[in-house]
Amino acid sequence: MVAKMTTRFFLYLTRWSLSLVAFGLTVTMGADSNKPANPAKHWAFIPPRRAPVPTVSMTAWPRNAIDRFVLARLEKEKIKPAPEADRVTLMRRLYLDLIGLPPTPSEVEAFLKESTPDSYERLVERLLESPHHGERWGRWWLDVARYADSNGYSIDAPRTIWRYRDWVVDALNRDLPFDEFVVSQLAGDLLPEATLEQKIATGFHRNTQINQEGGIDKEQFRIESVFDRLATTGSAFLGLTIGCAQCHDHKFDPITQKEYYRLFAFFNNADEPEIPIASADQISQAERIEAEGSAYIKKLPEKDPMVWGQMVAWEQSLTPAQRQALSQQVREAFDFAFEKRTDEQKQVVLTAYVEQAPANRVHQTALARIRRQRPKIETAMVMRELRQPRDTHLFVKGDFTRHGEKVTPGVPAVLHPLPPGDKLNRLDFARWLASAENPLLARVAVNRLWQQYFGKGIVETENDFGSQGARPSHPELLDWLAMELTSQGWSLKAMHRLIVNSAAYRQSSHARVDLETIDPNNRLLARQNRLRLDAEVVRDVGLAASGLLTQKLGGPPVFPPQPDGVMSLGQVKREWRTSPGADRYRRALYTFFFRATPHPALVVFDAPDSFSTCTRRMRSNTPLQALTLLNDGAFYEFARVLAARVLTESERSDAERFRYAFHLCVARSPTVQEVQRLNDLLHTELNELRLQPEAIRTAKAPEGADPVEFAAWTTVARVLLNLDETITRE
Amino acid sequence: MNDVNTNLLPGMNPPMNHLLRGTRRHFFSRCMVGLGGIALASLSGQQRLLASQEMKPAHPSAAKPSHHPARAKRVIYLFMAGGPSQLDLWDYKPKLGELNGQPIPDSYLAGKRFAFMDTSFKDRSKLLGTKRQFARHGQSGAWVSELFPHMATIVDDITLVKSCAANLFNHAPAKLFMNTGSGQFGRPSMGSWVTYGIGSESENLPGFVVLQSGPRGPRGGGVNWASGFLPTNFQGVPLRSGGDPILNLRTPEGIDLPRQRRTIEAVRDLNLARLVETGDSEISTRIAAYEMAYRMQSSAPELIDVSGESKATLALYGIQDEQPSFARNCLLARRLVERGVRFVQLYHTNWDSHGGPGESLEGDLEKVCRDVDQGCAALVKDLKARGLLEDTLVIWGGEFGRTPMGESREKTGRNHHIDAFTTWFAGGGVKAGAVLGETDELGFGVVRDRAHVHDLHATILHLLGLDHTKLVFRFQGREFRLTDVEGELLTKLLA
Repeated sequence: MVAKMTTRFFLYLTRWSLSLVAFGLTVTMGADSNKPANPAKHWAFIPPRRAPVPTVSMTAWPRNAIDRFVLARLEKEKIKPAPEADRVTLMRRLYLDLIGLPPTPSEVEAFLKESTPDSYERLVERLLESPHHGERWGRWWLDVARYADSNGYSIDAPRTIWRYRDWVVDALNRDLPFDEFVVSQLAGDLLPEATLEQKIATGFHRNTQINQEGGIDKEQFRIESVFDRLATTGSAFLGLTIGCAQCHDHKFDPITQKEYYRLFAFFNNADEPEIPIASADQISQAERIEAEGSAYIKKLPEKDPMVWGQMVAWEQSLTPAQRQALSQQVREAFDFAFEKRTDEQKQVVLTAYVEQAPANRVHQTALARIRRQRPKIETAMVMRELRQPRDTHLFVKGDFTRHGEKVTPGVPAVLHPLPPGDKLNRLDFARWLASAENPLLARVAVNRLWQQYFGKGIVETENDFGSQGARPSHPELLDWLAMELTSQGWSLKAMHRLIVNSAAYRQSSHARVDLETIDPNNRLLARQNRLRLDAEVVRDVGLAASGLLTQKLGGPPVFPPQPDGVMSLGQVKREWRTSPGADRYRRALYTFFFRATPHPALVVFDAPDSFSTCTRRMRSNTPLQALTLLNDGAFYEFARVLAARVLTESERSDAERFRYAFHLCVARSPTVQEVQRLNDLLHTELNELRLQPEAIRTAKAPEGADPVEFAAWTTVARVLLNLDETITRE
Repeated sequence: MNDVNTNLLPGMNPPMNHLLRGTRRHFFSRCMVGLGGIALASLSGQQRLLASQEMKPAHPSAAKPSHHPARAKRVIYLFMAGGPSQLDLWDYKPKLGELNGQPIPDSYLAGKRFAFMDTSFKDRSKLLGTKRQFARHGQSGAWVSELFPHMATIVDDITLVKSCAANLFNHAPAKLFMNTGSGQFGRPSMGSWVTYGIGSESENLPGFVVLQSGPRGPRGGGVNWASGFLPTNFQGVPLRSGGDPILNLRTPEGIDLPRQRRTIEAVRDLNLARLVETGDSEISTRIAAYEMAYRMQSSAPELIDVSGESKATLALYGIQDEQPSFARNCLLARRLVERGVRFVQLYHTNWDSHGGPGESLEGDLEKVCRDVDQGCAALVKDLKARGLLEDTLVIWGGEFGRTPMGESREKTGRNHHIDAFTTWFAGGGVKAGAVLGETDELGFGVVRDRAHVHDLHATILHLLGLDHTKLVFRFQGREFRLTDVEGELLTKLLA
């Protein structure tokens, strides 16, 4: 055994050294060693600087500096940019990109009628001011924040953290400068005279999972969440895979294991409370009523000592599923025999028994009476610094049971220095991260904005700007944009405006035969890219086309319909009671997200799983997506309502109706051929369905509509909602 | 391809054909490569032969060549979720019975950590002999517990690996570790790696299918069959035991299959027009996806309808009624692999045996053993009888095993144990009637041929014709593997 281990270890080291040699690196042994010879020379660690905006020969094309960088590169390769997309495509593109909803037919009509030269730019301004902008881009940030409404791991109990989601939406709507956006989320609680909003912002790092399984070592999972906070911080703000240094010095980037644990120390002192969001009066009223309820329960055994015995009998009668459904605290108390429990544990179990056992109906009624006046107090999960900081040690091989040397908070030497001081905390770290000296933050941020608009970042490895990451396709442009972000006071809206107003962005997304061999992956941006819509937008487009969309912003998550049986796939079966009324038709941003059993229509279109940070979504293209759009009850409802809408809202001619339905789904008018194909379909349907009383009966036509006609139009509506173009930004 | 062969697109209306002929021929000819799969799907056998060999499969999960010749073409993984007690089932330790009730020597415990270690249980470290009778079976004379009378009859077809070892001792991370080679969420599961590596031979069903039985889903749920950073078409598709076997497989009420077909054809034609207009090959993938979806709507119900199985087959598995059961899932697994599905995983819960309610080594263990015993044995026999066992790898096991020490809650149980546990393999290039590995006299640690989870993964991939060091995916700046930086081939397991 020993011999084998040694050999393996040796081989490992050898492979390691060879790879370092292969990368032209020198290996020096000793503490903080194994860095590349001169990491400071790696492009991403050199602060960005503004290169002069290049001159180009095709001077009529550029609309702003972005275009001159893009065009200069294209001219070098002797490639002409693509023509501008047509106005309707541009408009739908802007809507989907800036607010995540398609334009309505009347908006399209109005836009096409506008003849002023700046109508496009004015549309951009309108959309940037729309409250839906924050919803669209809020989701962009929530991917990074690994936001979800449940605790994850196996138990996956619901949690209340949606105030953080609303904070993000609001912050983006009011264009909170990105540096403040970062500081608030990492250390809002430590800001002088921190506001409630700033505390809520620290929910960013409370989006880690919480393991509520029995028998776990809690410290282990606290440390897991700190590891996750570091990994997320690295990917989200630095574009570095710092998690690699958890167990050993980073193999490729200049981050030693010791430096990793010095970063760890910044995050190791947080307390993780839930805070009430209510007035002081409401809180004290709630506390008073809660105390009254507890007192009522506490008195029961004093009045009747038999209660303890009954409680133990109740415990023994519980099935494993019933036990699992009880709170963590109760289940932990169950691990101890009655006589070994603390008074507090006894009280916890007693409370569960009194509140839940059917035998206690009388007490439950009495408690309900006491609690009737209790105000409902919303909570938020936040960070708070411990008074007494924890010691941080390096963990040997990343194993938290094996303490190495003790470390103090600090940052990797390859990056800009921290301000001097001995009691450095999370706020110092956040300010260091968001400082203009940081060579990475602005680059990483603009790259992720760019990625949303073009499908790929200027640096394709959006979360790895290190030596193993891809080189930027347009390095000067990346730096220019990064400088622009800081000089525009970290305004994200200024960057959105700049990008969508560029000629590069406005290009047609049609494939170009002339580029197939020269630039098959469109890295040079001689055209736009067609991008499948994000999972949430797929739903939102269906809601908007059918006219069902509820435009309400914010608030607790909702439960739109989902297929039966989804919730039973998790270890603990969670309830999913479909939201009634307007909440049934909210944007997908507000769909309750259980990590273990997420809504299938989101998963199937590649919504992130929220287990760890997601800086880029995958765009898969699968049969399960087809089944969802074709057969899922929610999408079928969209189709039926869309059919009814087309029949009632548009002129009576079929041609008009096809036009209207097309406009609702893809914003443009159908071609003659497309109309002809739909018309063929419509007439086949009318003929076939006339002979099918069952199809007509189940079509449930709205009042006044001819049931056969309604059923046939439902087929047409299903076709339109299933089109590739409907779920694509062109 | 100078002109578009309109015969390749049956069902397309004349205006569309006209459109395709008339415009942007260059694009269409390019896209036809991607469209091969769709066009092929609707062709007769004769036409198929005529179709160009160079047409690349439109479906991204289509079968691909392996690194080296494969011994196994497909996998059925019987996952006993919760950690089956190897000491009461497979790994017979008379010495443990002799020392029953005595404290475990300190030498065994030094430096070890256990689940529930911070809560106190009396007798935690006292040894617990098995209450089960063991006997030797088959030509190989392998020891099997009385709890598995049916599996005792297949010992000559399987190899018991008694020396398995894992890293993580809590259920959810341990299951992830067994499935993905990492306790962290976000890594692809083995089934995803395999279908990513060699695709699937099924045109009508997903390449990686998951079946579940028992009172609840496995801990962690879908992450156990997630594709992680691999494209989502490689993720496991859970067939559900009740209702529709795949979500949204049934058309909405009032929409029959002909109407669904007309809908899909119209979608296809309009998508084709857009493909011609934009030249985006993703549209051809989408058209292929709709065709697969349509085929799944008819193939999946046919799959789960076992009414055509003989009485003898149903009796072999012990299937008596229409109710979902583990045995029924075993039969479905055979039907899935017969239809070309590459990786089938069956989950059964709950094998956790701490001694608490529903988790005792007494009646509760007997019950879960009864749940699976006949089905597992029947599956191996049935595959063998049909000539499928030789290239189908069957795996039986959980995420870890259980301690030689007892745990007393209400009843007796054992704690989680990662240092030694038993998994068995059958078919697909694995030895038959063998035992690999050996534990010490108490069954605490491995003394010979340790088979770590990474080694099991390397070996499973090897049997499928894949080199675990070459099956990589670049993500977040580095290349990932199922076996991370570990994994050694268990050559003694190979036939």
